[in-house]
Amino acid sequence: MRRRLQAVIVAAALRLVHAALVALQRLDPEVAGELRRMPVGMTYAIHTGHNAPSLFVEWDGQRLLRIPHPEQAALCTLRLKALAISFRLFTGQMGLAHAYAQHAFTLSGEIADVMRLARLVNRAEAYLFPPILSRRILPELPELPVSRLRVYARTLIGFLQSSC
Amino acid sequence: MKPAYFEFQNAVKLLCGQNALERIPDELRHLEAERPLLLTDAVLLRLGMVAMVQDTMRAEGCAPAATFSDIPVDSSLSVVNRIAAVYRESGCDSMVAVGGGSVIDSAKGARLVLSHDTDDILAISGIENLRCGRHIPFIVVPTTAGTGSECTGVAVIRNEEQGIKMEFLSPFVEPDVAVLDARMTLRLPARATAATGADALCHAIEAATCLQSNPLSSAYCHAAIQLISANIIRAVQHGSDADARLNMALAATMAGIAFSNSMVGAVHAIGHALGGVCHVPHGEAMGILMPHVLRYNLPAAAESYARLLPEMVGWEKAAATPAQMRGEALVQAVTDLLGQLHASAGIPLRLSEAGVAEQQLARVAETAVNDGALIVNPRAMSVQQVLDLLRGAL
Ligand SMILES: [Fe+2]
Repeated sequence: MRRRLQAVIVAAALRLVHAALVALQRLDPEVAGELRRMPVGMTYAIHTGHNAPSLFVEWDGQRLLRIPHPEQAALCTLRLKALAISFRLFTGQMGLAHAYAQHAFTLSGEIADVMRLARLVNRAEAYLFPPILSRRILPELPELPVSRLRVYARTLIGFLQSSC
Repeated sequence: MKPAYFEFQNAVKLLCGQNALERIPDELRHLEAERPLLLTDAVLLRLGMVAMVQDTMRAEGCAPAATFSDIPVDSSLSVVNRIAAVYRESGCDSMVAVGGGSVIDSAKGARLVLSHDTDDILAISGIENLRCGRHIPFIVVPTTAGTGSECTGVAVIRNEEQGIKMEFLSPFVEPDVAVLDARMTLRLPARATAATGADALCHAIEAATCLQSNPLSSAYCHAAIQLISANIIRAVQHGSDADARLNMALAATMAGIAFSNSMVGAVHAIGHALGGVCHVPHGEAMGILMPHVLRYNLPAAAESYARLLPEMVGWEKAAATPAQMRGEALVQAVTDLLGQLHASAGIPLRLSEAGVAEQQLARVAETAVNDGALIVNPRAMSVQQVLDLLRGAL
């Protein structure tokens, strides 16, 4: 039961992070710039454990698309070693840097691509989590040019649209 | 401080000291190997170092089946693939790498290609993603005291096409045996001794102070820093001092074990980029960058730097330094030591001395932020922050 609840929360968190990045592409110049520099056709997969939710996204040069049923392996695949670890990561109990330091995931692909993803996710987390939490999980709190409320609103709209 | 979770692995058998070289054939027999491929570079071949290893191996009944000496200063993906081809053509069953970081990392790369039956190492790049594959007995004889590669689960290989250094991280990259014999470093020139020693020092400092630091790796870091600060000047100024040489070799190995288990940090991230973009030798890049990066990290790492001060300057001096000044004092002690190495061995202290031009800095900064070593640096770094730091070091 506990594992099922964790899976539901992690699945929602994965989609929330994606929705936040889509929103931030319009709102935050750092995220927009990072995505612009990403090679067209770049794909990321995040697996959160055995029989656990996963996320597959593709950058088509314009938008970061979420692909529910990918036909190919991603160019960069992160495989978290257990759902319990993914739960900690996606509920703000552990940052990506700490996940790396704690050998929480394996990577197939190029490390440079993970660094790109880490910057994007860190940025999204800086907006999504309250500063008191972000301070604990991010190496440094960045200055945010847009209000959190605007990002929350846009993210939520995107999240709900993608559920329909 | 103990992290919430950590891992530590070091399965490399260390042969250290007198007649270590002569024991290689016995180790190969234990590993059930008979036809080793000897990997080295042209300089070591010319200096007669390779002949010394070949002779001792032959004398003890296990001569190399083939020797490959065409490994350049910067290991590269094409060299890795060529080594794998020679290994297959010569019917070898094991590898003995004699050389510095480039030779060892090329050998590690080729071993990965062979044990995973692939023709292209790029197909298996990643972090901890590898299965163990077929075991290929692998002995390493370092001829520098710096990279620590003889005991690490990391291979750094240059991707010529992209102008970047790629890291392959897996415990299956670790060699079976590392051989530390003072005879192998006695003829290392002063400048290379200084630069590789600076690299080892940097491994120990970054591994002890980055986000992945753990109690076991820190123990190795402390011991390594103490040995380096006590021996590096002696090894540079009196190259034939076998005791100083072996102490430096041991320190480099210990620092290697440390960073293999807790990573490095921004000095390495930027240093890899300087190597990839501007071809600055790795050790020299470490020497140039260390003072600048340590100072940048100071606000987040003062406490952990302070803990290293006694190893660097001795307990008396550390105790006489006010507690709140010890982090800063560590940075100053490292800067002073590098100044001494500059004076006695000519290692560069500025990027311009190493031939780096202002117009190359932007590309270095963009490459550096994509280097995996940056993820565990005590402070985050943006492209602009790396660029500012590089300008300060120019
Ligand atoms: Fe290094």
